[in-house]
Amino acid sequence: MWPIIGIVLAAIGIAIYEVPSMIKRNLKKELWVFSVLLIIGVTLSIIESLNVEIPNPMDWLTIIYKPFSDIFLRILK
Amino acid sequence: MLKREKISARQFRILVILSFVGTTILLVPSTLAAEAKQDAWIAAILGLVFGLLLVWFYNIVGSLFPNITIIEYQERLFGKWIGKFFSLLFASFLFLNCSTILFTVGDFITTQLLPETPIQFTILFFLLVAIIATRLGLEVFARAAEILFFWVFVFFIILILFLLPELEFKNLQPIFENGMRPILRGAIYYSSYSSMTNIVLLMIFPTCVNNIKQGKKAFYIGTFEAGILILFISLYSILVLGHDISSRSVFPTYILAKKISIGDFIERIEVIIAFIWFITVIYKTILYFYGSVIGFAQILNLKDYRPLTLPLGMILIVLSLTVFPSTLHEAAWTATTWIPFILTFSFFLPLLVLIVSVLKKKIKGKR
Repeated sequence: MWPIIGIVLAAIGIAIYEVPSMIKRNLKKELWVFSVLLIIGVTLSIIESLNVEIPNPMDWLTIIYKPFSDIFLRILK
Repeated sequence: MLKREKISARQFRILVILSFVGTTILLVPSTLAAEAKQDAWIAAILGLVFGLLLVWFYNIVGSLFPNITIIEYQERLFGKWIGKFFSLLFASFLFLNCSTILFTVGDFITTQLLPETPIQFTILFFLLVAIIATRLGLEVFARAAEILFFWVFVFFIILILFLLPELEFKNLQPIFENGMRPILRGAIYYSSYSSMTNIVLLMIFPTCVNNIKQGKKAFYIGTFEAGILILFISLYSILVLGHDISSRSVFPTYILAKKISIGDFIERIEVIIAFIWFITVIYKTILYFYGSVIGFAQILNLKDYRPLTLPLGMILIVLSLTVFPSTLHEAAWTATTWIPFILTFSFFLPLLVLIVSVLKKKIKGKR
């Protein structure tokens, strides 16, 4: 429970710190990107703090690069 | 359009050195010793030659876009959508690499220095420094690099001098025992950690360097100096520890620093020596984080990149905790996928950019 409260408080802190200056300077696009990224960040952090397994991008890369890494390892053997 | 920041050629040279030495100083002596055994230092020389060749290549690619970053140039070259696709891949590559650097430093601090502290917090505080530096901008952290680089140099000299009594030259023999192949393999792994990861500098070079001609020279000199530093470290890890212990330990440079013992008086100064890689690794993290944030901001045509730093940092912490579930996973991934992965972004993508732009110029010339 505590990690989730911490994450949400941190996110609120970040929003309080960033949003007013963006509104003042009329940066609408930045505000959108910021909000989307912050929501993604909070969601991922909460999932991580609950010890739920997050899909690992490195494993996807291993699958994508499998043919190339096989060739590479054969050359250097 | 983001505001352009300018740094001098000297500051650029220092950034090249810090980024080249980065995590290399921690990881490479072990890899070199595992691949090339007692010939690790020959592999380090060969890797330096590869590094200088790559600098030559990056200088040619860099001179295609003297006033914009590689991300903006790709958009201009390939057209809006394909360009944006390539740029997104490149920025994500920088972001992903940033998370692996954070994993490495988190792993080092947790296993060697602060075993009781949760790794989330070591990574968090390390990343906070990178976020603050990124928000302050390139000019500020380049100037700070000038001050901090002095200390890297001082501690490096201390390490080299204080270990002189421990050298065992018979550790180097026999030379060329296993032939050229393992040396070549070691050199490729070495340059994949050091000179190939310097592709991130194309986000600040040559746009942000105030004198391009001097900047190109600084790129060569910086790579050369950093290569000499790594050569010393790998030579010392063979001379002091021997190839067997060097290849078995995860962080041989740290063990090297533990070996310092002068007259039963100067002892256990390894944490002070560790400042070398605290500074170099933080600069590598900063450059990668800065590069990816600037990259994302340019892809989305934002006016200010600063609002992205904190949310991206939040994502980065989770990413660095998930990319490698364990050191074993990291070792397996590095042995198989790492080299083709880094080659696509640090060699084949710039090569594609170079070929397409040369062809485009030829077609235009014919008309």
